[in-house]
Amino acid sequence: METTLYPQLDDVTAISTAFSEAGYICTPRIATVVYLAAALNKPILVEGPPGVGKTELAKTCAEVIAKPLVRLQCYEGLDEAKALYEWKYGKQLLYTQILKEQLGDILDGAKGLKESIQRLHSTGDVFYAKEFLEPRPLLRAMEQDDGAVLLIDEIDKADFEFESLLLEVLSDYQISIPEIGTIQARSKPMVFLTSNDTRDLSDALKRRCLHLHIPFPSIELESRIVTARVPELESHLSDQLVRFVHAIRELDLKKSPAISETLDWARSLLLLHANQLDAKLVHDTLNVLLKYEEDIVEAEGQLGKLLKIAEGL
Amino acid sequence: MTTTAGSNQLLAFIKFLRGKDVPVSPADTLDAVHAAGLLGYDDRTVLRDGLAAVLAKSTFEESTYREAFDLFFAPQQLDTQTLESGNGEQPASTSENGADQDKTTTANDSAQSLEELLQNPTAQEDPTLAGLMNSALMNALQSGDESTLAMAIEAAAETAKVDEIRLFTQRGQFTRRLLDALGETALRDAAIEFEKSQPRAFEEIQRLRENLRYRARDRVERAYLVHAAGDTEDFLDDALSEVRLANISPHQMARMRKLMDRMARKLASRHGRRRQRKRRGQLNVPMTLRASVATDGIPFNTHWRQVQRKRPQIMAICDVSGSVAAYAKFLLMFLYALQDVLPRTRSFAFSSSLGEVTDWFSEFPVEEAVSRVNRVYGGATDYARAFTDFNELALQDINRATTVIILGDARNNNSDPRLDLLAEIKAKCQRLIWLNPEPRLAWGTGDSAMLKVTQHCHIATECNNLKQLERIIDTLLSAMHGN
Repeated sequence: METTLYPQLDDVTAISTAFSEAGYICTPRIATVVYLAAALNKPILVEGPPGVGKTELAKTCAEVIAKPLVRLQCYEGLDEAKALYEWKYGKQLLYTQILKEQLGDILDGAKGLKESIQRLHSTGDVFYAKEFLEPRPLLRAMEQDDGAVLLIDEIDKADFEFESLLLEVLSDYQISIPEIGTIQARSKPMVFLTSNDTRDLSDALKRRCLHLHIPFPSIELESRIVTARVPELESHLSDQLVRFVHAIRELDLKKSPAISETLDWARSLLLLHANQLDAKLVHDTLNVLLKYEEDIVEAEGQLGKLLKIAEGL
Repeated sequence: MTTTAGSNQLLAFIKFLRGKDVPVSPADTLDAVHAAGLLGYDDRTVLRDGLAAVLAKSTFEESTYREAFDLFFAPQQLDTQTLESGNGEQPASTSENGADQDKTTTANDSAQSLEELLQNPTAQEDPTLAGLMNSALMNALQSGDESTLAMAIEAAAETAKVDEIRLFTQRGQFTRRLLDALGETALRDAAIEFEKSQPRAFEEIQRLRENLRYRARDRVERAYLVHAAGDTEDFLDDALSEVRLANISPHQMARMRKLMDRMARKLASRHGRRRQRKRRGQLNVPMTLRASVATDGIPFNTHWRQVQRKRPQIMAICDVSGSVAAYAKFLLMFLYALQDVLPRTRSFAFSSSLGEVTDWFSEFPVEEAVSRVNRVYGGATDYARAFTDFNELALQDINRATTVIILGDARNNNSDPRLDLLAEIKAKCQRLIWLNPEPRLAWGTGDSAMLKVTQHCHIATECNNLKQLERIIDTLLSAMHGN
């Protein structure tokens, strides 16, 4: 096998260890997929509910392999001028002005139309040249000399057409610019696409990616994550907190709390110097965990039960 | 190396997956083989997770994939020795070597007992029996050596061409062939010989035979699942999609539902929402400037930022009188399975009077809504009244983006159907489609006004099975999205 660009991602267990050292506790699944993505040079399409660490995965990956992270946030109406490249129109227009002024010098002494045109051609076409190209995230990721992590965040928010635009980048790591030609990636970046599943992505896009679904974590995993991210929190409190969050996810809520909310809550409790989950504390801080008024009402109604579960009873 | 054997297994698994309706492209297959090569076949969980990333492209597919993986690679199935047996390199000889070693080390109680049982003159003198007792298969069976046994079965399965099984009813036949290839005949002969003379040895042999038969049957069933079950399912689905919708019996509804959902998913992904650039709104300066270069800096052609989302709408009018009710049910179910691409479907039902039933479909599950429609609006057909009601109710909402679908047999019990009202609808909408469950030959016969109706429709077509329904909706969607 050729020497890989990302030696840190050469082995599944090594990935697990490196990521957890960087503060990202990943399941064997995630590690396996990251390993495969590096080995097969394929992008990863990460799906899952909001807040389970999809974006964080890409950030951590960049940290582990010590390469720059190029991020493209998708939104409705995102087009190639904002994702791939744009021409520097102002400079181009200036260039035509200059060309007009210089025209006399170039054409000086030329006989007849034919020769003038030949002379004009011989000056070379610089109007569409790389110098006038303003790279946007995708092109920038392709232009990194020794690898990068490209994060295409929330691809499901972009328009359907934008997906087609990505296909060339994702499968061949190149960008075709009609006026110039094809720009090949100097080194193949690690590509992460994230999706919150608000709509179905096209088959063509899915086919080019490895698929990774990150669900809500198990109790053990979430405990490890809390310990890794908020190490100052006492272990018995963090256990209580994780059990409480898991119990709350069982309720019929508009938006279940994800890992990011769990961590926010853990940090809040730390700031409040809490050492025990009790009804008052939960009542005061529940808005960190739940984002909708009706969810909060629902959870408070069952507070007694939830606290019992948190105690491990 | 176990790679070839492994990839053979992997290819069979992919075939199995396709049978389970997970679309795996040849490119995916290549990736899967690469991935498996990188991950190795030693760790089942790692392989399962890795292949999931390559083969399953959505959460829905992933759950199917996980089920299939567990079914296909039964946990003990995936040790390297088993995979080696697929290599085709004289598995019989290797298995004998392996078994010989095992024989000395792992002879357990039952094996000894049989050997003891056979420590008598008749058995010793019989050369075929002695041969049998020394055979690898026998040893493996007695010592419970799983891997040797599995290898022997794989080899025999290849000889007996078990993987060619196509029909469920062939299981018995293939099990017999597999057992023959395993050399079970010798065991049977021995059993016959001992039946009278040595009852204890007979019992022991029968026990081993039963064990072997069980494994053979298991192997054949797995082959059926992998190689044929998918075909049969496809065959049933195909057949069902061509059955007249009125003839579909309640016990087929579950399959029908699945089939419709699948068709709907396919159509939805083919006709994802599309947009067109608008000709007004905010100016797209870069694009306009760029286009102006050709005209010496004069912005001759303007470009606009905003894109317009077409808002197509469907109005479905269904005759729910006795003769057509069954078809209306499927049309409505299909339209509502397509909510992703047809977000603004309004539905109306009539027999004599007409009413809007859209809300029922948002309130109740589709099947219940349909039965409610039948209950409330069922009766004798009166098209004149239905058109009058419809025009009062919804004509003002019809515009150039509206498609009106009418399902009915156009039989109006010999009274005037008021087709002038139909013409009014046609004049306002983008497209008027009439679906008639009767075959084309019956149009215009008896009290059918269908031939006259045809003149007032953009499209009038026969529609009485799922296949026709799918084709019509497909044409409709591509026309609506303008491609």
